[in-house]
Amino acid sequence: MRKSRLTFAASLLAACALTLTACGSSDDADSAETAAESAGEEAAEGKESFEVYALLPQGNDQPYGTTYLPPMEAMAKELGVNLTITNSEYDADKQASECEVAVAAQPDGIILWPAVGDAVAPCLSAADAAGIPVWVTNSDVFDEDKPLTRGYSGPDTYGQGAASAEIMCDLADGKDVGIIQINGLTGNATAINRDEGFTDTIAANCPNVTILAEQPGNWNKDESQIAASEMLTSVGIDNVQGIYAADDTMVAGAIDALIAQGKDPKDYIITSIGNTFLGNPLVVDGSLDGTIFQSSSWDGANAVVGIYEAMTTEPGERVTLFMPQAKVTADNATDPSVAPEW
Amino acid sequence: MSQILELSDAKSKGFFGRAGTVIGRRTEGRGIALLSVILVIVALTEPLVFSAYSVTLGRIALIGIVALGLTAVILMGELDLSVASTLALSGVVMASIPELWLGILAALATGLIVGLINAFFVSVVGINSFIATLGMLFALRGLAFVISDEAPVSLVNKEAGISFGEPLIGPITPRVLIFILVFIAIQIFVSKAQAGREFFAVGGNRQAARDAGIPVTRRIVTGFMISGFVAALAGIINSLERTTADPTAGSTVLLTAFAAAIIGGNYLKGGRGSIVGTLIGAAALGVLQVALTISGVQVPVQQIFIGAILLIAVTTDPNSLRSVRGSIRTLRQGRAKNSVTT
Amino acid sequence: MTTKGTNAETTMTEVGATQKSSIGVAEILAWSSRNGVFVFTALLIIAALVFVDGFASLINVTDVFHRAAPVGIVAVGMTFVVISGNYLDLSVVAQVATAGVILIAVSNTHGIFIAMVAALMAAILFALVNGIAVGVFKANAVIVTLATTFIGLGVLRYFSGGSIFFGPPDGIIKAFGMGKVGPIPYSAIVLLVMTILLSILLNRTNFGFLIRSFGVNESATRLGGSNTALIVFGAFLVTAIAAMVAGFVLAAFSNTAVSNDGVGYDFRALAAIIVGGTSVFGGRGSVFRTLLGVIFVSVLTNILVLSGISFGYQQIALGALIVFAVSLDAIGRKVAR
Repeated sequence: MRKSRLTFAASLLAACALTLTACGSSDDADSAETAAESAGEEAAEGKESFEVYALLPQGNDQPYGTTYLPPMEAMAKELGVNLTITNSEYDADKQASECEVAVAAQPDGIILWPAVGDAVAPCLSAADAAGIPVWVTNSDVFDEDKPLTRGYSGPDTYGQGAASAEIMCDLADGKDVGIIQINGLTGNATAINRDEGFTDTIAANCPNVTILAEQPGNWNKDESQIAASEMLTSVGIDNVQGIYAADDTMVAGAIDALIAQGKDPKDYIITSIGNTFLGNPLVVDGSLDGTIFQSSSWDGANAVVGIYEAMTTEPGERVTLFMPQAKVTADNATDPSVAPEW
Repeated sequence: MSQILELSDAKSKGFFGRAGTVIGRRTEGRGIALLSVILVIVALTEPLVFSAYSVTLGRIALIGIVALGLTAVILMGELDLSVASTLALSGVVMASIPELWLGILAALATGLIVGLINAFFVSVVGINSFIATLGMLFALRGLAFVISDEAPVSLVNKEAGISFGEPLIGPITPRVLIFILVFIAIQIFVSKAQAGREFFAVGGNRQAARDAGIPVTRRIVTGFMISGFVAALAGIINSLERTTADPTAGSTVLLTAFAAAIIGGNYLKGGRGSIVGTLIGAAALGVLQVALTISGVQVPVQQIFIGAILLIAVTTDPNSLRSVRGSIRTLRQGRAKNSVTT
Repeated sequence: MTTKGTNAETTMTEVGATQKSSIGVAEILAWSSRNGVFVFTALLIIAALVFVDGFASLINVTDVFHRAAPVGIVAVGMTFVVISGNYLDLSVVAQVATAGVILIAVSNTHGIFIAMVAALMAAILFALVNGIAVGVFKANAVIVTLATTFIGLGVLRYFSGGSIFFGPPDGIIKAFGMGKVGPIPYSAIVLLVMTILLSILLNRTNFGFLIRSFGVNESATRLGGSNTALIVFGAFLVTAIAAMVAGFVLAAFSNTAVSNDGVGYDFRALAAIIVGGTSVFGGRGSVFRTLLGVIFVSVLTNILVLSGISFGYQQIALGALIVFAVSLDAIGRKVAR
């Protein structure tokens, strides 16, 4: 019995020793401890470096998050901000728990990218009570919670859906058009907002466009291809003149579904969101008629810029920095200002 | 139960020797060893985990409530995969009813009904609990999406939600309090109540239990209803604290809760284990997770670390090491046999 | 025992003379309990042909195969782990993603052959860790494979950085992904070939026999002198290779690979295996049954989407029908007794 516990303890210690070396060599761990000690006494102004917790719902597990992080970390380095980054994988309960940890660590600021917009009020109250400024990134909080935050930077996910709808309406040009719609992961905040933005705008601006069927594509190319193909079968491919997908990865799958059925995507009105490495070339070659540029690097960098402002200035009016939202169509697809980033 | 055998052995060892033997033989031994090592290492590297112990307690409660309910079922040799969906569904049910207390009652009733349905399929129809609760995992999640219209459902009484998140006595929040109460209740049930103690018999040898006159079906019903009720409780707590019910909730907690129960020494095939063990497992995982978040180590590396610890923990219990010794012995014997015959 | 048997037979013939109908029902139920999944899948397909527009079209047949292939390949492989009594292999999720990412990322720089070799090495590594932990250390398979999933995904995300990898637009990979024989995509042919190969492995080789007996009675197998660790490793290796092939097929279909491919494959594959009639306790089951289970679940999902049913109701229907199908099986078995 003693032997087995010794073996166990020994192997555990070995594993921990490895991590300790990793922890010891990273600046984050050291400065996190010093900051935690001195955060109580010093004011945020006049310090050379800041401690900031970034509460994110995605990271290296998603393509967008993957390209959001490096610009964020680079900007942080430039401004002297030490980031502690979390990834709650869109689990609101996990993020709430991480928020508790963050508030307890007494950082100089918190960057919040809500996993579920409706669920962050308690986190914001706690941060506010502790005197920690909060900057929101990528998905804004609800109106009633905005006063508890210093500002927001990021895309307007509802507006992205609306903009994509506007492209669709322009190209539909008053004709009766039937489309199939592919949504993001069911229950996901971005998916919900883009869906609402799209369907509201279609209903308001061009009711001549009818959504014949909708299914989730889960941000996935292969699932979207199968779902699109099945929807085309379900409503009858001859009744469909257009396709909308909530992001470029999914629309690429839908376009492949058309091609697999022997149709030319150029004959259809197809729009989506993202202007990604997958989507931009499709706009250039004409398969995709329009997408919305979303700059993950702008998003990541400005999250840090925002919190830095919040930490170094007196509280005042809430600041909103919307990401420049370019509609990307055949006209401007090759423009360097809308070069794809993720 | 196995303590009686060790007493004579132990008397000759002195206090620490005795304690060591007792702990080593009890099923919680491995969990205690793991917890001790984790506590020591965390105390050295991230002491914030302990100074902000209310946050850590909250994280332990998050994992632990679901894990405790699961343990009741595991002791009987069954599994309940549906707890994640029960959690989400109950939250949605509660939020959909404007009157807070009516909503809470309805949510708890939902958990009990789910437990009944699970028990029905397992004991009356006779399907294996793995597949029965797997089917329920899908179905209940779907139901949660249907009721919530695939989007989070806001609590009507948000103030109640926010005050629920605030500490009651010292740093103890209602969540932690409920967790402690659930632990006490289930522990007393399983160790003192006749029906509860029979859970072990049902898990150890079902036919023998039946022959001994134990009403196995009734015990299974009780077990699943406990699991369902506790999952519903967790869903209510989460929805109150978030002030919104997220139909996608619970996905990350399912496997973590399982891990907590198994690390705590509960056998998946039933008949052996303890509620205290689950508590220890939940504590170990909770402290580990919070420590990793604070450490600021990259998220993929955190994942690797948790996986490695889990792997080490589960391969270094006395049974495992005994069988390794056995395998090596067989190998050596095999080689000896060969050399003799040649 | 012989006397008992003859007595029972005599009694039964007497009873049979007066109650032919009830024995007939019992026989039917007994047959359908053993072959429930065949009956159910057949009924499902017939109902779809009659009631669901467009189900029978060639395009839709292709879509069903596309649905079935990647998860199906994982499922027929994972059957070995289930039959050996080790519940399931949660790490298939990480394995599918790893294989796909390695295939696309490495083939872009070093060619397909080296990519496949690298992916094979990764698969063997997964199988080694799983196999040693479960086979030598006798640790619980659910927690072990959960741990290897975390480690595997962590490593994958650390090195791939979570980006999407693209295959060349006119490469072999894409050609394979889009290729078909009539309405049957290459991926489905791969599924069929793997089913046949694995079935032969399970039923006609010594290794397969050991896996099945290990599932039925672990200690007896050990007493028989077999090295149980090797048996367990073998089961996980089969699963790992199947997951690798599934990862290839998935990457070929979309000509892309990313670290969150294959999400949900663990439970979906398990559902297919169990619906097919393989027991979660091990020992009883077959690879062909798993294939049938896969077809059942794929056809079901296909029907639901064709009928325009929203995601929430789809999940309810899927869960309910899985439980229903397995219940029928269980009730039939009870009545037959």
